[in-house]
Amino acid sequence: MRVWAVLVTALAAVCAGQSFSTLQQLGKADRDGVVQLELEQFMAHVVPETKDYAVVVQLTALSAQYKCDTCHAIDKSVRAVSRGWRRQRASRRIAFATLDVDNGEELFRKMGIDKIPRLMIFPAGRGAEAMADASPREMKLGAKNSHPAGMAARLSELFGTEIRADEPIDYMRYVVGVVGVLAAAFVGRLAWRRVSASVVGRNVWAVTSITFVLVMTSGLMWNRINAPPFMGQTRTGDVVLFAPTNSQQYGVETQIVATAYAVCALCVVLLVRHVPRVPSGEQRALMALMVVAVLLLAHSYVNSVFRMKMPGYPFRLLLP
Amino acid sequence: MKVLGLSAVDQTRLLRICILGLISVVAIGSRLYSVLRFESVIHEFDPWFNYRTTKYLVQHGFEKFWNWFDESAWYPLGRVVGGTLYPGIMVTSAAIYNALHALNIPVDIRNVCVFLAPGFSALTAIATYQLGKEVKNETAGLLAAAFMGVAPGYISRSVAGSYDNEGIAIFLLVLTFWLWLRAVRVGSAMSAAVCALSYFYMVSAWGGYVFIINLVPLHVCVLLAMGRFSNRLYVAYSTFYALGTLASMQIPFVGFQPTFTSEHMAALGAFGLIQVVAAAYYVRARVTAVQFRAFVGCAVVLVAALGACVLVVLTMRGAVAPWTGRFYSLWDTAYAKVHIPIIASVSEHQPTAWPNFFFDLNVLIWLFPAGIYFSFRELSDNHVFLILYSVFAAYFAGVMVRLILTLTPIVCVLAGVAVANVFEAYLSRGSSGPGVAQVPRAAVIGAVLFLLCSFQWHSSWITSTAYSSPSVVLASRGPDGSHHIIDDFREAYYWLRRNTEPHERVLSWWDYGYQLAGMADRPTLVDNNTWNNTHIATVGRIMASDEDTAYELARRHDVDYVLVVFGAMLGYSGDDINKFLWMIRIAQGVYPNDVREQDFFNAAGEYAIGDTASKAMRESLLHKLCYYRFGEVMGAQAFDRVRKQRLPSSVSLHNFEEAYTTENWMVRIYRVKSLDNFGRSHHEAAKFDST
Repeated sequence: MRVWAVLVTALAAVCAGQSFSTLQQLGKADRDGVVQLELEQFMAHVVPETKDYAVVVQLTALSAQYKCDTCHAIDKSVRAVSRGWRRQRASRRIAFATLDVDNGEELFRKMGIDKIPRLMIFPAGRGAEAMADASPREMKLGAKNSHPAGMAARLSELFGTEIRADEPIDYMRYVVGVVGVLAAAFVGRLAWRRVSASVVGRNVWAVTSITFVLVMTSGLMWNRINAPPFMGQTRTGDVVLFAPTNSQQYGVETQIVATAYAVCALCVVLLVRHVPRVPSGEQRALMALMVVAVLLLAHSYVNSVFRMKMPGYPFRLLLP
Repeated sequence: MKVLGLSAVDQTRLLRICILGLISVVAIGSRLYSVLRFESVIHEFDPWFNYRTTKYLVQHGFEKFWNWFDESAWYPLGRVVGGTLYPGIMVTSAAIYNALHALNIPVDIRNVCVFLAPGFSALTAIATYQLGKEVKNETAGLLAAAFMGVAPGYISRSVAGSYDNEGIAIFLLVLTFWLWLRAVRVGSAMSAAVCALSYFYMVSAWGGYVFIINLVPLHVCVLLAMGRFSNRLYVAYSTFYALGTLASMQIPFVGFQPTFTSEHMAALGAFGLIQVVAAAYYVRARVTAVQFRAFVGCAVVLVAALGACVLVVLTMRGAVAPWTGRFYSLWDTAYAKVHIPIIASVSEHQPTAWPNFFFDLNVLIWLFPAGIYFSFRELSDNHVFLILYSVFAAYFAGVMVRLILTLTPIVCVLAGVAVANVFEAYLSRGSSGPGVAQVPRAAVIGAVLFLLCSFQWHSSWITSTAYSSPSVVLASRGPDGSHHIIDDFREAYYWLRRNTEPHERVLSWWDYGYQLAGMADRPTLVDNNTWNNTHIATVGRIMASDEDTAYELARRHDVDYVLVVFGAMLGYSGDDINKFLWMIRIAQGVYPNDVREQDFFNAAGEYAIGDTASKAMRESLLHKLCYYRFGEVMGAQAFDRVRKQRLPSSVSLHNFEEAYTTENWMVRIYRVKSLDNFGRSHHEAAKFDST
């Protein structure tokens, strides 16, 4: 922050041409009201602590060459907040601006800014809206502040006035939803007439329920909530299928384990329904032995993976 | 062949009774590991509250218990105990205690409480037998009972010493479901009334009754949608809903909730729907026109849709209370972490990874989908219920580890059905359809028996190693294999009990509240009930603030002693410094200007506790209370075994004085100093004393 102070004193000589209306004019050029700052504009209108309005600036790198996804995400949120603020037409003078690395590269380098995107607040230093501490500060971007609603809430707290973000209604989602429902109803109506309802209905429900139960008991919700990597990697780059501890799992584990369970259940069903129906006695015997072997192997496989994850587990079946 | 002079049918019956008896013995026996290894002591945290209230009930009688206001909990707010608990388990224990004493068998109430859950687990196995028998036949029933008796998913909450609501609630869950299926089959008001009675007992026992009151109406609605309306269903559900709801409202904790909360609206909706459908069928039986039937069909759909709309509107306007946080977080899994950190912080509420399922259910986990397949093949009313139960229980178990408990009964039943099918296909001689030759038959049966045996070994091992720990007492093995018992918790609580005045208040994190009340018998500020988030946040703020702020806040709340749990010497990772982040988060939720989570991470972003710790961390009360004088023990090699970091070089503490530290430094008790006689701050007084 000492460097900001140096900047300010260096600029004390700059003609006090900063005014809120200049910024507003510049903001009109942007569709969301976010001022795209050049370096001189930044130094003249944003940095001086003697201004009587506040500016919220995002330091970002939006060009495609930088491949900064977080920058775009934060940019979206800032734009949403700026749109909402503009719509509110409040009398409080707060402007939203962007300083891209393309425009301010020198400044970034001098400041030693290497972590972007950053959200900086430059409060008003004099006038009715002045804040007690007019030095610039950073608003840390955490999980809560990155979304438009959270960012607006935090800014509201900071400025003491209500700022609401503009969350655009996603019309496409509604249209797609309605079209989808109509299409499903139409197809359903057609199918109802063609195929005997009960048989199709039952089989569809059976497959859906059994698949649902299989994936649920293989840890799908854990994956959805904790978003682990799909597969692991050792330091040498080899692929690791199973996380070595009991309290963690990779995305691929759910699929492997669900398949193993499905194989076991299928073997049981085959044993009960299909093996006794095989006409030839020898074939029947062979099939029974094969199905039993597959069943024991599949269960032993899951058991051995479990053993690997739970050190101290003493039971071993067919596989180590 | 006549054995004991009995006919074949009677022989089978005797065999079945013997098998059930053996299952009960195994079920009870496999839950006794902790009593044999340690002693007959109540485990964990929540059971201590149940134990304390049971003791109160037995000493003072039902009237006083029902109207009990406890001033020593949640000081200074107090807690209306009679109206904020589920009295089922206490009343059951007290009834057993009184019955035994009436027979002049002087059993201590503690032993009744410790052994209640294993006793009820035997009853659960028998209830599962009945459920399996209802669904398929006695073979499936016996297999289901055998699975239920030893399944680790159920054992985890019903070992001897785990005196918690789930101990009897799972028995009542299975019983209610069996009685419901029976009521739908028999279709009489009497059978439905018995089911409602069992439901009432369940409501008095556990908050999970919400599962029943949503699953049964769902079953009814799905049957109606499948076109399986019948008078039996109508009589069964109407009687069950009317009697069950009225009975459930007798429990003060439930009160009038069935009339206005979202969790109970499904039952009300199904009740209305079935009345409408019954009316439609009644009219249809008397009018022959096909068009009239179509008209009535549309009317039913319209009324149902209208009812749903009205419900949605009422919920949005606030007349119907929305889903409470605990249940809502099951649907919106991100909700709790952002809005109710207390719910998110409990380790039992985390989602379930696949090893947990395999750990708790082993072989049954893949027999379960096979059982669902067989249910779909037959698809009677009972099977529809089983399928619905499976799907919803699987989802909830996937979202929250703790709910594997509600999944276990249905897994056992359906696994029993699957294995019964295998036995029928391969064991029956001369059955209709092509038989199977000897060798493959022996192979299949042998393989199935091997898998069942491996399930039993697995369950016994899991029970013995994972679920038989009292948590109050810890055990470790020395390098030569000798047992070393760590009894620090009880040592600290008994020190408090013997060395402090009965009215002196103890501040600790909410985990230890019930244990403090049960063993130390002292007033506490917050406990495991966690009903007042602001009070808990205040305690978190005291722990996270610097010494002077904490002192002022503690004095404002009349705190006399502060208790912290510290595992650095032993390597006990469940201590307060590891929980500190949750304390901070909860405090930040209520006091965002005073406590900020980022302040407790050092400049490099690490959670450091030594000399590189951030200022807020170094000055926080919890850090000081935990590490005060700890360096003296370890000397030059001062090292925190849990965080694996070097200790801070110096810790100063002036406003609190050390009262007691247990043998392994696990529990540390500090006294809040009273004001200085000369009006100085304690820092000045210390400076004067040291010159």
